Amino acid sequence: MTANESLALITETLNNNRKEITRRGGKFFILWGILLAFFSLLVYALWKSTGHAYWNNLWFALPLVGYPLARMIRSKEGPAVATNVVSRIVSGIWTSFGVFACSVAAFTVLLTTVGDHPLVSIVVGAGLTVNIVLLFGLAETISGVALKNWAIKIAGFVTGIGSVVIYYLTGATKEQMFIFTLAGLVLVATGLIVKRQNR
Amino acid sequence: MFPKLDPVLHSELRLAVVSLLAGVESADFSYIKKQTGATSGNLSVQIDKLSAAGYITVEKGFKGKMPCTTCRLTETGLEAFRNYVTALKEYIS
Repeated sequence: MTANESLALITETLNNNRKEITRRGGKFFILWGILLAFFSLLVYALWKSTGHAYWNNLWFALPLVGYPLARMIRSKEGPAVATNVVSRIVSGIWTSFGVFACSVAAFTVLLTTVGDHPLVSIVVGAGLTVNIVLLFGLAETISGVALKNWAIKIAGFVTGIGSVVIYYLTGATKEQMFIFTLAGLVLVATGLIVKRQNR
Repeated sequence: MFPKLDPVLHSELRLAVVSLLAGVESADFSYIKKQTGATSGNLSVQIDKLSAAGYITVEKGFKGKMPCTTCRLTETGLEAFRNYVTALKEYIS
């Protein structure tokens, strides 16, 4: 090998590797995006038909469905695995988001069952949905920064800030579920862009 | 006078393996095989050579019921890779 060939080989290997790890991440954006959109429409439909907001508890089923599906996708890819700092950071960001979202939702449910606790009005009044989607948008934007991908950065910003705008337009009604639908669709689009850019 | 290129790294497949490992924390055998396009036999031989030189560590284990070989670049390997790239740049300039 000449010096130029060696350097070309190093550059190509590093680039292909980065692309492969990012492309794999794209699949999970698509999976969680589809689930988010599906659950939001399901909760909306049940809430609308029965008039009961307690269908929001269905959100707790999202990780129960999502994590086994994510595992299945990973096992279908075969045992080939590589981790780098970026993939670990992105994984950490989304795990943190999941913990924050589930905790704040569980906290709200717990307070609601307590009854007329003054904290309920604070939490619900602050707009649980919009806060979770704002967290979601932030998580997506930080993922975009870690992955050096403008599509993800912009998608995160649009989702987070878009959710605040929609919330102020619709208020805390069942229609706010469409904020999650929007976030899910943006996430799917992001996953498709990431996969396309890293073919 | 040009610096001498590290003979352990100056081989297409071994250089590809080390370049790949320089960009990750760890990678399993199947991933390296897929990314380099090497055959299992050839890759095994080259991984053993890199391991013998102290450039990578190789951990054999199981993921479920499937055997899994995980490779990591060592500090020595990273230093050798840096020196190799520096030497290459001198050749080019």
